[in-house]
Amino acid sequence: MSSPDSAPAGVIHNIGYRGYDGERLSRRAITLALYTHGLRGAFGLGRAARSKVIPMGMAVVMLLPAVVLAVVAVVGEQMGQLSGPVVPYTRYAMILQAALAIFVAVAAPQSVSLDLRFHSLPLYLARPLARADYVRAKLTALTTAVFLLLAAPLLVMYLGSLAAGFDAASETADVAQALLGALLYAAVLSSVSLVIASLTSRRGFGIAAIVTVLVLSYSIVSSMQGVIAFDADDPTTAGWVGLFSPMTLVDGVQVWAFGVTTSTPAGPPNDLAGAAFLLTSLAVVALGYVVLNRRYRKVKV
Amino acid sequence: MNRTIIRLTAQGMLGGRRLWLLGALAALILVIAVATRLLAPGSPADGATVLRTIVFSTFLPLFGLIVGTGAIAPEIDDGSVVHLLAKPVSRHTIVQSKLVVAVGAVVALAVLPTVLAAVILGTGAQTVLAFGVGALAAGAVYAVLFLLLTLLTRHAVIIGLVYALIWESLVGSFVPGARNLSIQQWALSITDAIAPAGVVAADVGLGLACGLIVAVLVVGTWYAGNRLAALTLATED
Amino acid sequence: MPVISTERLTKRYPRVTALDALTIDIGDGVTGLVGANGAGKSTLLKILLGLTEATSGTATVLGHDIVSDGLALRSRVGYMPEHDCLPGDMSATELVVHLARMSGLPTSAARERAADTLRHVGLYEERYRPIGGYSTGMKQRVKLAQALVHDPDVVFLDEPTNGLDPAGRDEMLSLVRRIHTDFGISVLVTSHLLGELERICDGVVIIDGGTLLRSSTVADFTRSSDRLALEVLADPDDALVALADAGLEVVRDGLLLLVALEDDETYDKVRDVVADQELGLVRLAPRRHHIAEVFDEEATRVIS
Repeated sequence: MSSPDSAPAGVIHNIGYRGYDGERLSRRAITLALYTHGLRGAFGLGRAARSKVIPMGMAVVMLLPAVVLAVVAVVGEQMGQLSGPVVPYTRYAMILQAALAIFVAVAAPQSVSLDLRFHSLPLYLARPLARADYVRAKLTALTTAVFLLLAAPLLVMYLGSLAAGFDAASETADVAQALLGALLYAAVLSSVSLVIASLTSRRGFGIAAIVTVLVLSYSIVSSMQGVIAFDADDPTTAGWVGLFSPMTLVDGVQVWAFGVTTSTPAGPPNDLAGAAFLLTSLAVVALGYVVLNRRYRKVKV
Repeated sequence: MNRTIIRLTAQGMLGGRRLWLLGALAALILVIAVATRLLAPGSPADGATVLRTIVFSTFLPLFGLIVGTGAIAPEIDDGSVVHLLAKPVSRHTIVQSKLVVAVGAVVALAVLPTVLAAVILGTGAQTVLAFGVGALAAGAVYAVLFLLLTLLTRHAVIIGLVYALIWESLVGSFVPGARNLSIQQWALSITDAIAPAGVVAADVGLGLACGLIVAVLVVGTWYAGNRLAALTLATED
Repeated sequence: MPVISTERLTKRYPRVTALDALTIDIGDGVTGLVGANGAGKSTLLKILLGLTEATSGTATVLGHDIVSDGLALRSRVGYMPEHDCLPGDMSATELVVHLARMSGLPTSAARERAADTLRHVGLYEERYRPIGGYSTGMKQRVKLAQALVHDPDVVFLDEPTNGLDPAGRDEMLSLVRRIHTDFGISVLVTSHLLGELERICDGVVIIDGGTLLRSSTVADFTRSSDRLALEVLADPDDALVALADAGLEVVRDGLLLLVALEDDETYDKVRDVVADQELGLVRLAPRRHHIAEVFDEEATRVIS
């Protein structure tokens, strides 16, 4: 056991217990502190080195193609072969969805499964922090993390386009649209993953479940869209099928709201469908919040 | 084979939430088959393509991951593997008993739905058989591989995911030589061999594929037994 | 003003009633909450902290109502849960700093207070290692540190000596006592071990099956009774007869003889009997009560 604090003559002064009269922050500030803690944790900051591998790895995987595309834009324009970016901003998330999926599948359990596994929730809830604050902090932190992961490469591509001298106005408009899309992607993906992660205290199982849901749903939806749109020549139904996977859902909203070309075999066929896509996206986020709240109200304290 | 271990593993792997997930996946395959049949009554060849894309490149690797890691990960996680190792049962028997459960789950919840889906989609009997055998081969190999991986590293799930998603999906598209290292391709060779020509395209020779499958099954099981014997436990995540 | 005050606090589960119309007042100082396992002690703490909702009844802590004023209440209270609740991958410092911030301390103050508190509970170099590798005693200290780090006005300690060896128990108990005497923080500590609380508590609340059995100061409980405890080398039955013959009211309690203390002369009478009969005096002392007697009706049957 450690030795008690004794005072060898005159060198160490046992100052005894000091009370704390300083500032005590409000509930909002505390929630904000939990938010920053969560945001940093999603990227492995403030934790062991090996937990930085996946987040940073995925960040690199997300950024590299964007850098390449930016360089291609500049070079291609100089060679007179390009007048606009090779890949539309709004398509980037879809192309790199594997990296997104892995990032969020690792970050979501890291955020919530550990507290469940070690039964640490009472330590939080016995403090001036409500359950809803805890949920809100975790949700917004993960959403911000995913948004940053998507926004950085978009901005890199944008800078490349500017450097290449493409029409600044239209590029700015395009990237702004894509950033809004990125926000929706982040919200939907975070919502879905946190709900799944909060259902299990086992981190590995949470990771597997989240990836299964995200990847499998996309695989199924896009295959079926392909078959229905091209073989059965029914792009309308194929468009509606896009509701059933998070990635195609948000892409559908981008197609309808911004008029960009679809990154799936078939986008929402009309305004009704487009509105349905938007409402469904928002409903997924809202529902996720509600489910998380209910889950944490039932957690054994 | 040890009956108690089989029973306990089955309870652990198929109890509660895992069973929900596996069952939902199995049901999903059927739903897709039905939906595709209804919405796109095209030629059975397209149905086969849909099945191949979804089942072989995504469903089976993920299923194998869940089942392979689920055979032993919970026990390592909560430390109860100590009780298992304290029994006078050969480590190889333990591994084999667990694999029996894993492969059983693969047959019941992956191969069977795949076969049913193929039937629903109206592909010929030969194709149905082909898909069934191919799915069984792939599922078994994935289960062995991921069980072994769980014994090798604590990050088995993540590595397995990277393999399943990135390697298996991208490999087929870009790097011809590396296809020989893709379990998906081995299974597809078998499927191609049994199905009528042209239904499925395979890039790995049948002999090589079968050899690799058998090799992984045998060596993987044996090596897993060895690793189990040398298992050390850590206290923290 | 009482630190904690409950009014007919009830908590019913489908199959069991954890608390049954509990009405108590708890004041300053170290108060022990005693009861058998499942008596409702942890449930009471959780309800007071707002972790669980009561089925009916009200309560206040430090003047804050637990339902309407829960947030303000929780900024002034510290909680040390009974169960394992520490994440294994963080170090003690990281965890206590993080939880200090969760209690509303600004970052730099959180770091200072965390360092101070960990020192006060006796964690020195170990604080930088991951908690997963700690012994039970160290983990209990970390739990205590996070309860104290934000300088609360009262702390709730749920079975702080759980899982500790006798030496660790003693250290924890004296630490608990110091929380009040040195740090000036009121303490509500639960235990199912009655004896250890006698040493450190000012007051005791005894709960059994969710209802209040007794509540008073420890001094009241363990005051000297009107009996003398006598232990002799000779056969207690022989001594019993000898003392009775001398006109004393005496009852046998195992190896002890309990003599009704009527006046100062009783001491002399006992001494004389023991000397005359050569009974071999081992011990003669006023008999004190123990908290355990509240549960044991036989032992509290007073000779009258």
